[in-house]
Amino acid sequence: MKFKLKWSDLPVALLAILTASFACSWLINLSLGFSFFARAMLLGGLTAVSAALVLRAVQKNSRKEKAIHRFIEVMAQLDPRELSDNVPHEALPHLKVDNQWYEAAQKLHHRIQENCRRLEDVEHARAGSEVRVRNLEGEHERALGILTALPEPVLAIDDYDELVLTNSSAEELFEIGSVEQSDNRALGSLVRCETLVNLMTDTRKHRTQSQRTGDIVFVDDDGEAKYYRAICRNMFSKVEGEGEDEEPKSTGVVAILNDVSNEKAIQRRNAEFVSSVSHEMKTPLASIKAYVELLADGDAEDEETQDEFLEIINGQADRLQRLIENLLNIARIEAGVVKVKKKAQSLNEVLEEAFNVVQPAAEQKGIELVNAISSIYIGVLADRDMLMQVAINLLSNGIKYTSPRGTVTLKSRLDDDFHAAFEVVDTGVGLSPEDAARVFEKFYRVKKHSNMAPGTGLGLPLAKHITEDVHGGKLTVISELGEGSIFRATLPSAQELNKS
Amino acid sequence: MSKSILLCDDEPHILRAAESKFRRSGFDVRCAYDGEDGWTQIQERLPDIVVTDCQMPRLDGLGMATRIKDDPTLDLPVVMLSAKGFELSPAELEEAYGVLALLAKPFSPRELHRLVEQILETGHATPAPAQHVLDI
Repeated sequence: MKFKLKWSDLPVALLAILTASFACSWLINLSLGFSFFARAMLLGGLTAVSAALVLRAVQKNSRKEKAIHRFIEVMAQLDPRELSDNVPHEALPHLKVDNQWYEAAQKLHHRIQENCRRLEDVEHARAGSEVRVRNLEGEHERALGILTALPEPVLAIDDYDELVLTNSSAEELFEIGSVEQSDNRALGSLVRCETLVNLMTDTRKHRTQSQRTGDIVFVDDDGEAKYYRAICRNMFSKVEGEGEDEEPKSTGVVAILNDVSNEKAIQRRNAEFVSSVSHEMKTPLASIKAYVELLADGDAEDEETQDEFLEIINGQADRLQRLIENLLNIARIEAGVVKVKKKAQSLNEVLEEAFNVVQPAAEQKGIELVNAISSIYIGVLADRDMLMQVAINLLSNGIKYTSPRGTVTLKSRLDDDFHAAFEVVDTGVGLSPEDAARVFEKFYRVKKHSNMAPGTGLGLPLAKHITEDVHGGKLTVISELGEGSIFRATLPSAQELNKS
Repeated sequence: MSKSILLCDDEPHILRAAESKFRRSGFDVRCAYDGEDGWTQIQERLPDIVVTDCQMPRLDGLGMATRIKDDPTLDLPVVMLSAKGFELSPAELEEAYGVLALLAKPFSPRELHRLVEQILETGHATPAPAQHVLDI
């Protein structure tokens, strides 16, 4: 064991030296018989030499101790990251190899460096994690933003049938608050729709990858039905730490509700349309078939009756042909198959031509057809044939539903706001408000007046389609039951189009 | 004494064809253009049988059949013509509305005449076997 002298040991060491010197001088004196002076000189010399040696040893130890203190202090003040491998930092004091703490200091230095490296690794990992967390937070916010912006209601439940997510559309539809701020998240108590609740819980119980769908109907306070198709799917996720071969576990069910009200309305309208077409075609066909059979069975007792039956067959065949032509016209125009050839032309010229076309029918029925077409030039950008079709349809309609000795008037004018307008005013049977509201629907015929004239219920819808969808105008009706009707078509005039 | 029949249809040509067929067969034929008109004529003078279209203004064929069925003083067979399909089967139609036979338009006046004669004789109708069921 090495003994190191320190300043604190100095008094004890000097006392020990003095005692040892005194003992040595006494022993020497006994054996050699030195005089008192000689003994005093010897004692003093020994003491002085011993003290000098002790003092030197103490001073030497003290310098090493100071050096190691300084070394540790500087190392403690340094940023550990500035300590590099095997190269002493320039700020570190030099430590001699013979310093008894040299080895310990080197070990400490290396340990600090090692810990520092570990700390740096941890800091890098933490910084990476923070970036990932920030990215994930950003992605989460974006996903939530997208989810909230979705017009389709979206709901998700966990494995305990508790709502874990709803977007604003779902919250609005089911009149519930955000699930994040709710203590009660039970699907069954929040979502008042048994079909959806059953669909979601069934999907969760089956835990299959395939989706399940169901149709849902909501009737609002006004009695209006909204139709949704709910698509439910299990949400699967891999648990961290599990092997690649492990099956992903179901974490709940997400349901998306697609609003299919428009599809349902289109389906309903299509079904009604097909039904109406079928009915409208069967009616003349029924007459043709019945009269052909009557003629074949010899049920027409005389020539006059035979002629009557043949005339009916001919008339009903014409009706069928008109129906098919009108249907095809409407289908072609709606599908955009008919090429619209718009040209700037005189509205009054087209109206005059239509007037002349229907005049024989009016005369035959004993109806006064009045020409009140304006004398000023009214230019319109229109397809001539189509515009003529509108005018003929409106005039024919007026003639059909006006009794003999009645009047049908055709007027035209240029409005103050540069709209070109023409009107067919009749003194006919008129329309009830209910019939006026539906008169432009396909196949809608006022039953009460359907016997006044043959019709397909397609003339007015076709006129409205040409005026509004093809020419950007407006076709309206003002009518009073028993008082006649005014059908008014408004079109953007050429002047108006030039202005814009 | 000739058998009487009431024909109801808002299509005058159909009415005229049926009228011609039954008149030639010796029926006392009366015509009505809608259900209300038909119901009024039934109350004025009871026919032996009613042939009515289904879709008519004011009161349709089913409405008139219901009135006939609901009136305990009336024992009046009803035959219905229709250009539209029915969700109800013939048995359900008889149960719900008292309609003994349904004939789809376009119909054969000959078949209509056969059905009416059969109902008046036996009290029930056997519809002709459907043809071209699979013709699409």
